[in-house]
Amino acid sequence: MSTAVKTGAIEATALVKSYPGVHALKGVSFAVAAGEVRALLGKNGAGKSTLVKILSGAEAPDAGALAVAGRTVDVFTPGHVNTLGVATVHQELSLVPELSVGENILLGRWGGHRRGWFIDPQAVYRQATAVLAAFGVEIDAAAKVRTLSIAQQQLVEIARSLSFNPRVLILDEPTSSLPASEVEILLRAIRVLSDRGVAVIYVSHRMDEIQRIAHSVTVLRDGRHIDTVPIAAAPTAEIVRLMTGEAGAAAQIHRAPRAPGTVALGVRGLATATKLRGLNFDVRSGEIVGLAGLLGSGRTELLRALYGLDPITAGRIEIFGREPADRSPRAMIRQGVGLAPEDRKKEGLVLDMSIAENLVLSSLHKIARRAMLSRRRQTQLSLRTAARLAVKAANLADPVRTLSGGNQQKVVLGKCLNADVKVFLLDEPTRGVDIDAKRQIYTLLEQLAAQGTAVLVASSEMEELMLLCDRLLIMKDGDIVGECSVAQTDLADVMAVAMGGAPSFTTEVGMTGVGRWT
Amino acid sequence: MDMTGEAARIVSPPTRFGRLDAEIKGLLVALLVLCALAALFAPNFATTGNLLDVLRQTAFTGIIACGMTLTIIAGEIDVSVGSAVAFSSALFGILTASFHLPLPVAALGVVAAGVAMGAGAGAMRAYFNIPSFIVTLAAFSALRGAATLMTDAIPIPILDEGFGIWGGGAVLGVPVPALILLATFAIFTVVAARTTFGRSVYAIGGNAEAAHLSGIAVKRIRTVLFALTGGLAAISGLLMTSRLGSGNPNIGYGVEFAVITSVIVGGASLFGGKGSMLGTLLGGLFIAVLNNAMVLLGINSYAQDVANGIVVLLAVLVRMRLAGWTGTGRAT
Repeated sequence: MSTAVKTGAIEATALVKSYPGVHALKGVSFAVAAGEVRALLGKNGAGKSTLVKILSGAEAPDAGALAVAGRTVDVFTPGHVNTLGVATVHQELSLVPELSVGENILLGRWGGHRRGWFIDPQAVYRQATAVLAAFGVEIDAAAKVRTLSIAQQQLVEIARSLSFNPRVLILDEPTSSLPASEVEILLRAIRVLSDRGVAVIYVSHRMDEIQRIAHSVTVLRDGRHIDTVPIAAAPTAEIVRLMTGEAGAAAQIHRAPRAPGTVALGVRGLATATKLRGLNFDVRSGEIVGLAGLLGSGRTELLRALYGLDPITAGRIEIFGREPADRSPRAMIRQGVGLAPEDRKKEGLVLDMSIAENLVLSSLHKIARRAMLSRRRQTQLSLRTAARLAVKAANLADPVRTLSGGNQQKVVLGKCLNADVKVFLLDEPTRGVDIDAKRQIYTLLEQLAAQGTAVLVASSEMEELMLLCDRLLIMKDGDIVGECSVAQTDLADVMAVAMGGAPSFTTEVGMTGVGRWT
Repeated sequence: MDMTGEAARIVSPPTRFGRLDAEIKGLLVALLVLCALAALFAPNFATTGNLLDVLRQTAFTGIIACGMTLTIIAGEIDVSVGSAVAFSSALFGILTASFHLPLPVAALGVVAAGVAMGAGAGAMRAYFNIPSFIVTLAAFSALRGAATLMTDAIPIPILDEGFGIWGGGAVLGVPVPALILLATFAIFTVVAARTTFGRSVYAIGGNAEAAHLSGIAVKRIRTVLFALTGGLAAISGLLMTSRLGSGNPNIGYGVEFAVITSVIVGGASLFGGKGSMLGTLLGGLFIAVLNNAMVLLGINSYAQDVANGIVVLLAVLVRMRLAGWTGTGRAT
């Protein structure tokens, strides 16, 4: 199929959208034909998610027009756009685990399947089975959703969207939480839909999938439509070039190379039940190592396993050459390991407690004598940390809830600092953080490294990693598929490896594999 | 470092948390207004004898409420304390009458049993992840049943002259249970506000996941909390036994809800993370004064229960509206 639009199932013209401080879309035109599977690619901040929000009706554009099957959208609500024929399946599933597959697919629309006052389960199951069969899926409609695999749950979610008979189906990173073995089920279902004339917009960066399923690829960069090319004319290197532009290489900064010390964190054959598949790497004192990889590549899972939050099924984790017997977060903190988690509100902070109390939460032993807390020492310690991190707050007794995202993140980091972190694990440390705070966080991490802390930072912003790190570990499907020194690579190479379209450029990692599955 | 200068200017040292104080002040004003009204309209309210009696009445539930406050701040609940009171009383009767243990030894044994039962319930919550309501609901039923089984539902008289002092006596005019309440209250106030344990309890109630990631021993602290309420329920049971002069399996009915009522009226949130000892004390006193005034006014005792119900609802409603207006805080 060519990319020339025959009958545009969905057609966007010159969409513009700004948020305070951000020009997210700068006139994007975009059309997908009936039956076409279109991959939508772009780096973080390229405007992908804004475009998806507008296409699905969650946000209205500032300027420009959107038409679904020739009908102009004038009211931007998910409900209205849905009735016009656009269905969106988000990354997070929204199923009710204790209800059956059929009840979930027809959620809220059981009224048509009544016998007297009672829902007729058989009628619900019959219709649900028909919806599933229409895109080639066989799942017992009477089974509880809780009992299904993640891929099957994803299919149920898609089936729910399809029960509205949409013309356009938007899939936002649908495979990011799927194990590799289940991806095929989803791809097969998408092909059936495409054959039936449904236009599919597929947001993903997994080139191996895209090359098998998409007809064409649209690349966004800096809020602009860069190019739409047929998949045959788009090898990974070309797509990466479109995504990064010319700026890729220039983003690197030149600084004196750091001199790494002894191995602080040693990982051998680390595997977990669900994701990690026998990882090997070292992080040395005074070194900043980045974990690069697409959404769902296993970055977060690795950090969680290292910190003792998730059980490991195989392998060794050594902190300064010793394997800790107790792997609880409490024990890890005592060993000098700290984690700044991905979701600071859910995992990092007690939002209703004061800034000062949050800052000392991991170091209560420092401000306590015989279990009695000293308010004076808490004040001293929290003031010192807040000053070091430049936390902008009127009063450290204010609830941490009242701070901006950047300052909340600084409190999370300060909490780890106060616990005397020697091996610092950070998951998306600058997500939702303003540019000043970002710069300050980078400076802090560089200072910590200079003082001999081993830093392992996971981020979906590759530029950030290129800027900050000495070395990158590139993850894909729960494994490390590449390792490189930042000084000797550029962004495009790293992205190509992470996206899975290029052979990895170091062999060092592959050779030390222990307990590897693949 | 270049950031220090700027930051030192804008960061001021922590001061006391203002909002909490405002709530306590409101509660205090409500209590004083209630006392003033009672003094005006209820005959004999404002007499030393009556006020001391109010204190004594508050003591039996108030002692348990100290532990319950921490439990509720941690986002948990213990509905077994009423049955634990009955169990303690019955066990004390058995230990003294059937096993002829000296009273102090029996009392220690009862408290130890209470702590152990509580710790067991807490461990079920902490290590097996059974919701605390379920665990303590089971204990609520089982402990009451055990108390009745042990004694055949017949009160066991405690024949000791001196023992009655603990529940019914007074030192310098102040009822002994009230003194024990004040001591418990003082200890728990310090524990809640000034110890690592207390701080951890607030952190767990505010965000258990973040507390766990911050290295707080969440499971251990949850276990200890239920051991505390168990121990305090045993102490309260002993005081009631002393007051009644018998080990009685038929006491403590409804105590769990009286305790929870004072904690909630005192401003703690059932979602956890919020509450204070002083609030609980004032909440308990408010309920006690209200009930006492109604008795003095000769109002039907069933009406008191209705009034208590309304008070709980109003307290939470008023607090939620105030929190809504100031745009902070959470609903109870």
